[in-house]
Amino acid sequence: MPRTAAVLVVVAAASLAAADVGGPALDYALNCQGCHRADGAATPGSVPALAGSVGKFLRVPGGREFLVRVPGVAQAPLDDTALAAVLNWMLDRFGRDDVPKGVVPYTAEEVNQLRRRPLTDVAGARRQLVEALERTK
Amino acid sequence: MRDERRWIDRFVETAARQLAQRTSRRSFITRLGSALVGSTLPLLPVARAADDSRVPPPDDSALKGDAGDPKSCDYWRHCAIDGFLCSCCGGSQNACPPGTEMSPVTWIGTCRHPGDGKDYIISYNDCCGQSLCLRCRCTRTEGEKPIYFTSKNNDLLWCFGTKSRAVNCSVAVVLGVATKS
Repeated sequence: MPRTAAVLVVVAAASLAAADVGGPALDYALNCQGCHRADGAATPGSVPALAGSVGKFLRVPGGREFLVRVPGVAQAPLDDTALAAVLNWMLDRFGRDDVPKGVVPYTAEEVNQLRRRPLTDVAGARRQLVEALERTK
Repeated sequence: MRDERRWIDRFVETAARQLAQRTSRRSFITRLGSALVGSTLPLLPVARAADDSRVPPPDDSALKGDAGDPKSCDYWRHCAIDGFLCSCCGGSQNACPPGTEMSPVTWIGTCRHPGDGKDYIISYNDCCGQSLCLRCRCTRTEGEKPIYFTSKNNDLLWCFGTKSRAVNCSVAVVLGVATKS
């Protein structure tokens, strides 16, 4: 019996170690994950998917800029350096198989310039990009 | 066959009697069982945060007073909760009450655990599908932003992606430890 109890203690203790989250993963958790979920999956009717989707925007003209100018990104309470890091983290985590070869990471300077130009018709801009993506198939 | 049953009966009876003699109702096993059923492991088929990054929460057993009471607004995880506590509504700080569905869309902040001093990432998922619970109403605002910053505002009802938009109560799920690096 004591041996069984000891095993259970070890199992319970191991399960109590919460995972550390920092850097762009933490910024994603605190500023994006509430809507976009931990795995980037869609919530149909409410939130579009990041996983399997976000990287494809880099395949068409204007897509790279769109990912920064979209309101949830441009208005995130993060400085340019942190925002660029989150974008690059998202592309790696949710779009690794979709981004075209040779794509360079976002820089703080690029993000700084793009987030100053907010989109006035977000849905329209997104629709145009999706249509352009459809034509590339 | 009958002999085999008798052997099993004797074995189980002996084991049960030995266990009863060596342990008390206040024994370690009782406390471990309570911990497992209470919150540590996802054993029951009820709605929980559908989230791969979710991790077991820190140990609250050493916390004294309301900071360690999931039915209190002052419970450490509730530093930014706005709504009715599922812990008072037939659920827990991790699980929705039966008959409700946890919204996958949520708002996320951090709360400091008074025991270890670490900042934990907390997801305040609404449980949806029944009318307001009306028990244990709490309003705390650490890290909350005004309504024009919707993704960081907790006055909103967060029943999105659920069959019903009717909100019942809110959970406070630990997702991880926030670190600076």
